[in-house]
Order: sequence, then C-alpha cells, then structure tokens
Amino acid sequence: MNDIFDTADGIEKSGRADGFDGIDKSDKFDKGEDTHEPRGIVFDIKEFAVHDGPGVRTTVFMKGCPLSCRWCHNPEGLSPRPELMVKTARCRHCGLCTRPCEHEDCKPYGRCLHICPEGLISVVGKSWTPDELAARILRDYDFLKSSGGVTISGGEPTMQSEFVSELLRRLHGLHRAVETCGYCSGERFTSVINECDYVIMDIKLADPEAHKVWCGVDNAPILENFERLRSSGREYLVRVPLIPDVTDTRENLAAISEIVGDSRVELLGYNNMAGAKYAGVGRVYTLPDKKNREIDLALFKHAVLSR
Amino acid sequence: MSQALLDYVLAGEHHAFRRDAADALGIDNLAEYYRAAGLTPEERMADRFERLCRAETPRILPDEKICYVRTIKNIPDCFTPDEWDEIRKGHFIHEIGYISNLSPDYAKAISRGLVALREEADEYGRRAIDNIIDLADRYRDEALRIGRGDIAATLERVPRYGATNLREALQFFRIIHFSLWLEGNYHVTTGRFDKYIYPYFKADMDKGIYTRETALELIEDFFISFNKDSDLYPGVQQGDNGQSMVLGGRDKNGREWFSELSELCLEASRNLGLIDPKINLRVSKSTPIDEYIKGTELTRAGLGFPQYSNDDVVIDGLVSLGYSPEDAANYVVAACWEFIIPGCAFDVVNIGALSFPKVIDTVLHTSFSGCNDFDELLGKVRDEINAECDSITSKIHDLWFVPSPFMSVMLDDIKYRNFGIHGTGIATAADSLAAIRKYVYDDKSITPTELIAAVDDNFEHTPELLHKLRYDAPKMGRDDDYVDGIATSLEDMFADSLAGRRNCEGGIYRAGTGSAMYYLWHAAEIGASPDGRRRGEPFGTNFSPSLFADTDGPVSVIKSFTKQHLGRVINGGPLTLEFHNSVFRGDDSLEKVAAIVKYFIDRGGHQLQLNSVNLETMKDAKLHPDKYRRLVVRIWGWSAYFVELDPEYQDHVIARQEYSI
Repeated sequence: MNDIFDTADGIEKSGRADGFDGIDKSDKFDKGEDTHEPRGIVFDIKEFAVHDGPGVRTTVFMKGCPLSCRWCHNPEGLSPRPELMVKTARCRHCGLCTRPCEHEDCKPYGRCLHICPEGLISVVGKSWTPDELAARILRDYDFLKSSGGVTISGGEPTMQSEFVSELLRRLHGLHRAVETCGYCSGERFTSVINECDYVIMDIKLADPEAHKVWCGVDNAPILENFERLRSSGREYLVRVPLIPDVTDTRENLAAISEIVGDSRVELLGYNNMAGAKYAGVGRVYTLPDKKNREIDLALFKHAVLSR
Repeated sequence: MSQALLDYVLAGEHHAFRRDAADALGIDNLAEYYRAAGLTPEERMADRFERLCRAETPRILPDEKICYVRTIKNIPDCFTPDEWDEIRKGHFIHEIGYISNLSPDYAKAISRGLVALREEADEYGRRAIDNIIDLADRYRDEALRIGRGDIAATLERVPRYGATNLREALQFFRIIHFSLWLEGNYHVTTGRFDKYIYPYFKADMDKGIYTRETALELIEDFFISFNKDSDLYPGVQQGDNGQSMVLGGRDKNGREWFSELSELCLEASRNLGLIDPKINLRVSKSTPIDEYIKGTELTRAGLGFPQYSNDDVVIDGLVSLGYSPEDAANYVVAACWEFIIPGCAFDVVNIGALSFPKVIDTVLHTSFSGCNDFDELLGKVRDEINAECDSITSKIHDLWFVPSPFMSVMLDDIKYRNFGIHGTGIATAADSLAAIRKYVYDDKSITPTELIAAVDDNFEHTPELLHKLRYDAPKMGRDDDYVDGIATSLEDMFADSLAGRRNCEGGIYRAGTGSAMYYLWHAAEIGASPDGRRRGEPFGTNFSPSLFADTDGPVSVIKSFTKQHLGRVINGGPLTLEFHNSVFRGDDSLEKVAAIVKYFIDRGGHQLQLNSVNLETMKDAKLHPDKYRRLVVRIWGWSAYFVELDPEYQDHVIARQEYSI
C-alpha cells in the first residue's frame, strides 16, 4: 500500500518551515547505530502530570510533529531533531556561550553548551532505547501503578511509532495512554493505540481547508484515524484546543460535535502563554493575545471545559 | 463564621485599643525599676505579669464568642542590658532568654480549672493564677456591661473551674494562651487540640447543642482569636509565631485518631484562610486516603499547610531516643516542625545547628588534598562532623531561662530535657561530595587542587567547571543513589555523633533535618561550594533539594528524600514541595495530590510541607527567582517553570491570577 505519509509529497503537503514531512526514517534519529532496536527522541519527561489522563502520570514528550499548528505550545516538540534551546528569561548576556569552544557536540549549534552559568542553554531531544526509557519510567512503577500511569505525548508519538510501540510493550502492567494528533497512516496509528489503555486525541478543525491553513496539513487522515479509534473499542477522550476565532467558533465546534458524536470531549481554553517558549527555539509566535468567546457546551453531548 | 468579626480583625480595628506598656504601666523603664528594687527573676516575672494583667483593658469585639484581645502592645524586658551581659557571662542563653517552643498541658488546665491548679502551684504560680482570674472577672463585668450575657456566663465558670462544655473549653484555652504570651513566653504551641477538646465537643454534639454547622461556626470564631494579637508576637518574620496545631495521629493504644472535630478544624482553617493556627496533620501507613484528601482540600487553599508528619517514623524515632512509647505516641510539633511531647518535655528543640556545607568546606580546605579515595574523604567528613558537634555542644552549658511562673503551672512533671540540633544544607553538602566523588575520584577529570582553587575563586575563572558542577553533576532530587546515599551517610554521621552525648540538663541531643533561617545564615558563612553553588547563594530550606537542582518532578524528589534513616534524625524538618494552584483544576485533583502525599508517607518520609502557590508567591518569585526554581505554573494544557518564562509571560500569569480573584 502506498503510504502518503512516506512520499516526498508529504513535504510539500506539510507546508512546514523546515520542510520536514513528519516521517523521518532515513537518518540516525530513527534507528540505533549499532543495534536494530529503534531509538526515540524525547524532549521532556514530567512526573506528576495531573492533566494527561486518569490519575497521576509520568508524561513522556516525544520530539517531532507532522503538524505545525500556529498555537502549538511546545515548539521544541515540532522538529524531530535535537535542537538548541535557550531559555532567555534569566539570560544575563554575559556572552560566554558565544565564545569559540572545542567541544564536538557544540559544533552544530554555534554556541557552547557547557558554559552557561545559569544553565539556560541546552540541546532538547535526548535519544533513548525502549529499554532505557522503560527502565526510567518503571523506576516509579509502584507509584504509577497505584496512582495513575504513563502517558506518551509530544510532539507526536506516532511519528516515532516503532519506538513508541516497543516502549509501550515494555510498560505492560501500567496504565498506558497516548496523546496524539492522529496525523499518520492507519497502520502506524493502529500499531500505537493497540498498545494503549487510553487515547487522548486532538481534533482541532473540522474544515479541511482551515486545517491546512492553521495546522499545515489536510485533516482527512486524522478523521480516518478517529474512526479507527472509535471502532477500536479503546477508551478515549477527544480534546479540542479553543483558539480564539479559529477553533472556538460555533461553526467549528458544531462540526466537530457532528464528527465526535457521543464521545467524551475536553475543550481547552486558550491563553497567550502558548507562545512562551518560542523565542527559546528561535521561532516566532504569531497569534494575537485574545480571549475565548463564550463557549456553548450544549453543542456537545459530553463535554467539559478546562481553563 | 462571623464575617463581621473576621473583617474587623483583618482590618486591625482592634489595634485602636492598644497602648504602649510604658504608658499603661506608668513606668518608663521596668527593668531599671526592678534592678533598683533588687527583685529576683521570679519576683520580676510575677510582678510584670501582675502589672500587665491589671493594665489590660477588657475589650469584646463585635460578634465574637471567644474573647480576650491584647490591649498592651509591648512587653518590657525584665532585665537591663547590663544585667543580661552579666547573666550571659555565666549562662548559655537561648535566643532572647524567655521560655519558648514548649507545648503546655492545656488538657489538664481546661479539665480541672485554675482554682484546682492553684492548690498545687508555688507562690508565684498562685499569684499568676490570681491575676488571670481577676482579669477574667473584669472581662465578665465588661460582657455584662455591654449586654453579652453569653460571654459573662462562660466566664462565670472558666477559668476558675474546669470547662463543662465546648464553648467554655475554647474560652478557657484562649485565656491560657493569651496569658502565656502576656507572661512573655513565645512560640507557644497548641498541641493536640482535636484530642483534648474532643470530649467537650462530643458531649455537646450528643446533647444536640450544636449541629455540624453551628459547631463549625464556633470553631471558626475561635480560630480567628489566634490572629488577633499575632502581629505582637516576637519571631524572625511576621507569622513566625509557633501557633501550631496538631490534628489526627494515634492515641496511646496505637489506634488512629481522627474525629469529626479534626475534620471541622481542617474545614475552619480552609474557610478562614488565615495563617493561624498552623495546621499539622499526623498520618501513617494505615491512614485512609480520605483523610489525606481532607488535608489536601486545605492545601488547595494555598496557605502552605497542613504539614504532614509520619507517625510510623516519628514515634519509633522518638522511642529509640528514649521517649516512652506513650509519650512518643502523643508527640506534637513545637512552633515549626520540631517534635515535642506536650506537658512533660522541657526540650530546647532549636538550640543549635550543624551546617553540613561548612563541614565540607572545612574538609575541602584541610584534609581533602591528602585523601587517596572517596572513602578516606568520607572519613574526614565524619571527623569534622564530630568536631563540629563537639564545638556546638561544648558551648551549651549552664543553660538558664527566665523563670515563667504561669508556664510552670501549665507543665507537668518534666521527664525530658533534650536539646535539638538542626542539620542544614544537606543537599548542598551531598551534592558537593557527589561532584567530588565523580570528577575527582571516578573520572579523575579534575584534581583536588584545581577544585579548591575554583571554589575559592567563586568559579570566576572556571565557567565551564561551574556549569559542569551545577548542571551536569549528580543532584539530590533525581532519585540517584550515587548522591542520595551520600546524604544517608551524612545524616547517619550526624546522628552517630550526637548519640551518647549528655547535655547540661542531663538530657540527650537530637539530630534533625530542619534549617529554620540557617539556610540563609549558614550559606553566608562559607563561600562557593563544590556543587557549583556560588558565593552568596542560599541552601535549600530544611530537607529539600538544592535550589538549582533540575528534577523530573516530585516523585523523584520524594524518592531521593526518603532513603535516609529518618528515624535517626527526628528532631524535625520537612521536605517542601511546591505546586501551582492549577494542579487543583479538575474534579479528581484532590485525589491526585493526596496520592503523592500518601506516597511520601508510605515510603517512610518523616515530614512533608506542600505549598499550593498563589499570586503573592509568584510576585515574590519574580523578584527572587532562585528561591522558586521548582514553582510550576499551569499555562494552558501544559506546564512550565515559572522562573524560566520570559518576564512578559510571568506578568501575564500574575495578571491572570489578579483578574481571577
């Protein structure tokens, strides 16, 4: 079967600034150097995540996303490659990081990673084997078993589906959730959700053209995967980020309601904090600081509003 | 609660009644007067208390059911500065010399009444009681004068005789508490309030005198009373007044103690949102999750309490220090978090403090270069801890407190005269040793000489080393045995060193994990440290990670800080976790936060403080970001470290909070 996500077309379709198609199978980030074990690139691990599924969870953020939503609040999760992140808030402009250094690992970035006195400069995106990451999560097995579980988020977990499936297989015994945008082949989607007890899936815009404009890609694969999710029998939650005048319009919410039917839905209220990390990865946040309009929850059969 | 009373107290309207002691007593310099008259310390304390009681003006605030409010602002010293100099020549004087940090036997007084206690008191105690009763009579007359027959009726009974109902018991408590502070004692703690008040509560509830709601209202009004005079109480900072209240825990038969009254106290505190009384909750492995959830509801209020203590660890720890099992089971906290037994302990729980980082600093500059391996270095650290403990304990001799006649009445036979020593900067010290172990002995990437030079230079010329030590080296708070095990060794060395030492009162020394204000003071005593802490940067407070340790979150932090033999360092001192209020978004958030508290207790943690951070904290965090490195703010479906946000975003969160109030 010809997978549209693997073709060169994808690059154009994605419309991303870095031209990345969302599926990078070619280079070192997808495959381990010495083994056949897949390696995963992770940009953060957060304990005590209380909004990422049932109970208290450890959330793993996979790096790389095929979408480029203008409101994305984790810009360091967009590129699948490790990248420089500079936390500018406490920078004293001492200039130490711009002096030439001899470290091999600093060369790609043009900055010294090993000198900032405030620890503001780092490369986000650490490479793990499934065994290593599973061991890190299972370190807290007793707590996660009794209080919640583990959530694989991102970025987009299905972009590293082979790794994520391998990881989830190693986490049997814990409650396993995935947070996905659903933009991937059906095969990939199924391979990941098959390893999960719970799926949180974003549906942002019902209109395909609007979806292309705001998220960079067509939403048809997402809606197809949503149908796969519904028929999978797995427990799931639909999340709709409420972006002022983009996704929070009555038309869009009504259309999403049509799509999701009686699914459980969480509507996430907006604020402009989403742009907080953009400067750190050299990106510019373009959405205005606006508030959501009044949201009519009655549009949905089962919806809650979170701020 | 009475909103009118709360508003009145919050507005400080009762401050209008306050007079200066010199005016009220008609004596400009009381200490000089006593010196000239040649009065003994007992006579001075008895006389001062008598004068203050007589000069107090009974004032009953609008709507209040539990009266007594201070109308004399300040309590003049009993001794002149010259006399203090003389006293200090022959004695170790703790803090300001007056009795503090004890847990009086409220239960005894409230049940028996002051007339009965008078029979057993010495002449000074009798005189104090006479003055207390006299002031109570004047309060009664004032109540009658303004038409408050209910208050007058209560004061007909208490404090002369034992309380017969809840209202009398609460008023009696208030009179005792007021009197102890007026006598000049400070950090007067409240003890196991829900235990000794319970019989009165139960009887009244059984008789149908109160519904749950009306009982709650009364307790709320009573709680307000802790806040009427607290700005007059001495402490390092406003609010540092030791009005701690302990709820829950086990009774002497080992049964869980958590009653409807305990619940109402949590609820009252939550409804009022006042900083006093400071609630402590005793829990253990067998505590049901519901009780944690009730505690968490209070955490959500953002007051920074309840503070939790673990009966499993604390009781066993106190027993192994020599406290009887019955007494240990009855433990409370003195002031902040130091464990103490009500009534029978004259422990001085905060008499000194060991600075772990200073120990490391000394070893670094004396014997480090001669050590061949890490174990040898640890041996030197042990020697230095012993030397520091020698130095601390040898300074404490001929301890003397200004005698407090009424406090003496409120204590029973004293069984314990133990001294508590804080242990500060554990994470800074353990992280420093871990960095040395890793880079000097394991990797051999730096020599002792280079490291010492860099530390002494405050890393001014070695920014790359600073970065490595600060951000790459192992840190407590990441569940890394490599460094956590070092902390275990340090705490063990501290406990070992104090074990077997006798203090000048015949008691023992107790090692602890608290820092109080020493996390600043001790940090100022040394320069930079091998963990990459620069000169002038503080340690973590109490038993907590270093301020710049980057952790994955509270699970790892809890694991790092529950590996030590905490029953051996049981003078007290909590791990502090800070959460943004937004963790409480969602229906099941209470269960989630309760789960992490329970995890700490189940893992054998000894004491835990949680802060649900609010607007004021964030404003402070903006001014002092390094104090709040672990403050997490929920933004929108995601979280960030507050201090890592750009200023405009910080302002945004602050503004959002302001708008939402």
